Amino acid sequence: MKCVRCLLQLRCLRLVGQSSRSAAQCGALLQSAASSQPSVLHQSQHQVLRHFHASPACAKSQPEPVHNEKRVKSLITNDDLFERVAKDARTKAMFNKVMDIFIKRDIRRRGHVEFIYAALKKMPEFGVERDLAVYNKLLDVFPKEVFVPRNYIQRMFNHYPRQQECGVQLLEQMENYGIMPNMETKVLLVQIFGEKTHPMRKYQRIMYWFPKFKHINPFPVPQQLPEDPVDLARFSLTRIANDLDAKVIVYQLPCTDVTVSGEEITLPHIVGTQSPSQMELLAKHNPNRPVFVEGPFPLWLRKTCVHYYILRADPIPPDEKVEEPYDPERCLDYPLQLDLDLERDYGDQESFDVEDLDEGPVFAMCMTSQGDQATLNQWISGLQQNNPILGKVPTLFRLDAGPRELQGAAATESGHSHGPEAETLKEESPHEEEPQNIVEEEPRRSQGMKQ
Amino acid sequence: MSVNVVFKSLHVGRRLLAGNARNAGKAVVQVEQQRLIRTHCRKLAYAKDLFLGQVNKAEVFPYPEIGNEELEELKQFVAPVERFFSEQVDSAKIDHEAKIPQETLDGLKELGLFGIMIPEEYGGLGLSNTMYARLAEITSLDGSIAVTLAAHQAIGLKGILIAGSEAQKQKYLPILATGENVAAFCLTEPGSGSDAASIQTRATLSEDGKHYLINGSKIWISNGGFAEIMTVFARTEVTVDGVKKDKISAFIVERAFGGITSGKPEDKLGIRGSNTCEVSFDNVPVPVENVIGEIGGGFKIAMNILNSGRFSMGSSSAGMIKKLIELSSEYAATRKQFNKSLSDFGMIQEKFALMALSAFVMESMAYLTAGMMDRPGLPDCSIEAAMVKVFSSEGGWICVSEALQVLGGLGYTKNYPYERYVRDCRILPIFEGTNEILRMYIALTGMQYAGKIMTGKIKEMKKGNIGLALGMVGKKLRSSFGSSVDLGLTGKDGVVHPSMAESGKKLEQNVSLFGSTVEGLLYRYGKTIVDEQLILKRVADVLINLYAMTAVLSRASRSISIGLRNHDHEVLLANTFCSDAFFKNNYMMAQLQKHSPENNDANIKKIAKAVLDNRGYICTHPLERTY
Repeated sequence: MKCVRCLLQLRCLRLVGQSSRSAAQCGALLQSAASSQPSVLHQSQHQVLRHFHASPACAKSQPEPVHNEKRVKSLITNDDLFERVAKDARTKAMFNKVMDIFIKRDIRRRGHVEFIYAALKKMPEFGVERDLAVYNKLLDVFPKEVFVPRNYIQRMFNHYPRQQECGVQLLEQMENYGIMPNMETKVLLVQIFGEKTHPMRKYQRIMYWFPKFKHINPFPVPQQLPEDPVDLARFSLTRIANDLDAKVIVYQLPCTDVTVSGEEITLPHIVGTQSPSQMELLAKHNPNRPVFVEGPFPLWLRKTCVHYYILRADPIPPDEKVEEPYDPERCLDYPLQLDLDLERDYGDQESFDVEDLDEGPVFAMCMTSQGDQATLNQWISGLQQNNPILGKVPTLFRLDAGPRELQGAAATESGHSHGPEAETLKEESPHEEEPQNIVEEEPRRSQGMKQ
Repeated sequence: MSVNVVFKSLHVGRRLLAGNARNAGKAVVQVEQQRLIRTHCRKLAYAKDLFLGQVNKAEVFPYPEIGNEELEELKQFVAPVERFFSEQVDSAKIDHEAKIPQETLDGLKELGLFGIMIPEEYGGLGLSNTMYARLAEITSLDGSIAVTLAAHQAIGLKGILIAGSEAQKQKYLPILATGENVAAFCLTEPGSGSDAASIQTRATLSEDGKHYLINGSKIWISNGGFAEIMTVFARTEVTVDGVKKDKISAFIVERAFGGITSGKPEDKLGIRGSNTCEVSFDNVPVPVENVIGEIGGGFKIAMNILNSGRFSMGSSSAGMIKKLIELSSEYAATRKQFNKSLSDFGMIQEKFALMALSAFVMESMAYLTAGMMDRPGLPDCSIEAAMVKVFSSEGGWICVSEALQVLGGLGYTKNYPYERYVRDCRILPIFEGTNEILRMYIALTGMQYAGKIMTGKIKEMKKGNIGLALGMVGKKLRSSFGSSVDLGLTGKDGVVHPSMAESGKKLEQNVSLFGSTVEGLLYRYGKTIVDEQLILKRVADVLINLYAMTAVLSRASRSISIGLRNHDHEVLLANTFCSDAFFKNNYMMAQLQKHSPENNDANIKKIAKAVLDNRGYICTHPLERTY
């Protein structure tokens, strides 16, 4: 009863001086409500509420400035609430506290739609954007049973569109963050909006598609990426080179050394991967043709960008390709080929006509925190232990200045930074200078081997 | 008593050996004369013609027989060997101790079983393939002994026998025939099964040119632990047209040459009494005289040895199944449940019917093949032998496990021999060429033969020759209107007994359909059929069934004609098998005529690819997560 009265008072106050007619109406209503028996109280309350809803004409007749002021005010209030309460710490507890404050502040939950919108916007800041309980609690802010349509006409038309839209928006945000609603969400939605309303439909659609799509990625990236750069590199390399035989080798662990002169040297990590078939390919490589170290190439893992380098060669020119001739004395048990002059019939060609573009073999890949030539050279000499041919093949470094643009964005998250010296080195070795590079490179590596 | 019997059997064996040695020259002439009489114009072997939809009935009808004298000779051998195996061989002990006792080996040697197929002039028994198959039926009662003997003579010394020079034969065969020295066959290597190109063992000519030095190691060598004489295959450098090339050569290597070490015997699932181990060669000097055939010619020798050693598995399996039928039927007859003996239950009866059918078919196939191989000329029965091997090894496995099933839990215990038979039997589909590889061999050899003949016709068809196409359509129409195929098995000049006329018709129908199916496959796939293993598997299976049908029809027809006891039962078995195989064949050929999405091949490949790419079963566990 008290609640109804307050609501009416509030409404009336706001309308004072705007429309004498509506004010009179309000007064009449107030009287009738106040004088009614407790047994009919409930009904009358509904009437009142419905009446308020059913009088948009009144609201529209409000002069603009007041309307504006109200909206602005409410927004400020809600945003402010978050700002004020969570001045120092932005945590889940704080977020919950804000919600509690809002719920307790006003029993009528006035401005709850605005509050919910504001809360949705603030969620990532508080780090609760993936918390189902918070979403449910936010949904709980809606008053219950008020927006449930009661007859077929209401059901037919968009009943309380703003509220419904807000509910849909909330579910949409859950969807975007990959949060699956639970039974509590459903109960809340039924209590708030009723069956077969837009938020309920949205809920049903989510429940239909979500389980199907949530785990569909055959190569999922974990929510929490490994912190250690070596582990991250290991993870990324196995992700790129999806070969179960490939072995990830850590050529160098990151460490900090203090030299005799007191200088501090940070050694970058070098993690590489190579599969047995790649080793085989490399062993067959014509030693007169160079192999290239190329990179850095970006790899995005959620919001983190890491970079990798590859060791590759140009595709084998057609005149150098040697097809192994058929040896009839190869298989002891059955003929490996039939000596027939019949080709496969067109009706039985099951393969598609795919134009193959020969890109040349990739022999190995690596990741390092420092993409300069010296570091990568260390990787190559590490590879050389298992691939002796690398000692005979000229190795060219084709390094881009690449990730500098991304540095600002990526460096903080990935910890993958190229030192300034690395960049300068790279700039010194553009493509035109490759021949010099070889000359420069060869002795250095052979020295390394001797040691 | 038993000692006395043994003595007698040994005596018989010795007498036989002695007699053979004495009459060696005479006997050979005699055999040759006998054979000359049965000589007739020899066409190609039977199975290849089936690919053309033809039945080369002269090849398989009538069922091959051996002469009366040979029969007498055989009977003399069989009785003592049977007695020896039932009284002297303790299979359970051999299996348990994983070793054949020396007395047993000596007994086998006394019986001459180490030289069954070595000609009499070299001190062997000089028996034909048919008689060898008959003896294999008995020796198979103990898997370990069977394998030991087979490794010795079916492959171990076969190289010397088929490709050795006279001097080599003179030198080695006599000591091998008596079992004084045991032979082994060394081909498989850690990195090389069927792939001859990956054989790593190398033989290099010494500086003086008198020796080859062999280096390398061979694995899974039966008898490898004690064999004195081995056929070893190694890579040698050969100059062909001025280009140096690596080719495989075969060598006779004596353990006495030095440098040979045998590894620890493998601990196996079955045939535990046989000795299987790794053999390493470290600079083993082999005199140049010990090259079998010519240098670089080892590949053909290896292939011939492997191809010729397989046919006896049919009779071995049949022998084993016959023994198991005896054992398990006794149990079924005496064991009572619900006041009924087990043999009154339909499902138990079915098992015995299956075993009898399998044994009958295997036996028929084995002796038909052996008989074909015994004919004069250069018989190429390698497809037939491979078919016998595939059919009998798989049938044997099923039958043995069904026999065990009759006994239920008892069969699973070591108190009964069934579990040992199950274990021993498991090797059959694996060794002497795995069944998968043999199926490839069977299907591809036939396809190659048919392809050579049909290429012209198929090319015409592809060009759109109207006359040919109309002919094909007419043929199809005629067969669809129910005009029966007549390949001459039944009717006026028929070779199949009228009581099996219907089965004969079924065979004819299947053969004719098989011919057109093969033609269709060649039209569709051409030479790329090599890569269609699922199709080749079906082709091989159909062919095996066709050959089995032929064998039982031929055998039962003969049995009726000469009035063998219980020939009506043979007719029953033959008819039952034929109608069963007829349906299976029709089903497989219907699948062959479809494209891969319809006959499930595409799905099978997809499933396998998904599993193999991930190297594991990839379905999520049903309890992994909730909705």
